[in-house]
Amino acid sequence: MANHVTVIGRTTRVRGRVTGAADLDVRGFVEGEIAVTGDVTVDSQGMVGSAIHGRRVVVRGAVKGDLLGDEAVLLEEGARVVGDIRAPRVAIAQGALVRGYVQTGEGNAPAVAAARPQPAARPAPAPQVSVVTPKAPAAVAPKPAAKGGPAPVPARAAQPPALPSAAQRRPPPPVVPALKKARGQIVKKKER
Amino acid sequence: MASTVIGAGITIEGEITTDEDVLVTGTLRGKLTAKEAVTVEHGATVEADVTSASLAIAGSLTGNVVANERVDLQAGARVIGNVKAARVTIADGAQFKGNVDMDV
Repeated sequence: MANHVTVIGRTTRVRGRVTGAADLDVRGFVEGEIAVTGDVTVDSQGMVGSAIHGRRVVVRGAVKGDLLGDEAVLLEEGARVVGDIRAPRVAIAQGALVRGYVQTGEGNAPAVAAARPQPAARPAPAPQVSVVTPKAPAAVAPKPAAKGGPAPVPARAAQPPALPSAAQRRPPPPVVPALKKARGQIVKKKER
Repeated sequence: MASTVIGAGITIEGEITTDEDVLVTGTLRGKLTAKEAVTVEHGATVEADVTSASLAIAGSLTGNVVANERVDLQAGARVIGNVKAARVTIADGAQFKGNVDMDV
């Protein structure tokens, strides 16, 4: 009796984490993260809304989240996966649908580390820009050089406070119609 | 055979709702709502409020229990919490601390 395989049944819905050192068979719905040291099977009726980490991850159902397999990730017919897949061995059978980054081979941990910086690479340019910031004063210098119009200079000097105000300027367009409506409502209220 | 099984070595932290039988031999923390029978086996740890049709406990359970039909605390069970059910049995050898409400 102690060697039951863990099963999330068809009508079962789990909102939370599933962890442990055993095999897991998902036939129902798991919203939270799955992290087990055993094999994970997502049945054709199974749905997982978060990342799965297991030794072998076999998917025939739907997964929205990253799949990380210590040994393998096998997507079989009927699998629908939106998320990144990383494992020493990855198999995607005909009829399986995937949208995400797939990486096979050893050294997953560095691979995971390497793969995540890629999205982080977008922030990385920002630091580069910030590195350029020393030049920014130089860039600012031309602006004063463009002082020709004295009026723009105070405007630019006022930019830091002006930025929030600029942000505030964006909302008003929707606000204006809202005010019109509000006026009408207020009038009605006054009538009442 | 229960259609949902939380096996030994597995820990679920969160909320479970199901229309099926549930068998717990591992660990559950959170909340369990089942429309059928729930069985907590010897060696299992449940720290959750449990609502079900019937409940059989041989393991450890901490939390409040509401069952539509019956609750059976079997020998070796260790239960801390309030139990509400039409029928409640406590076997010799079961440890229990809490209130019993049998709709008297």
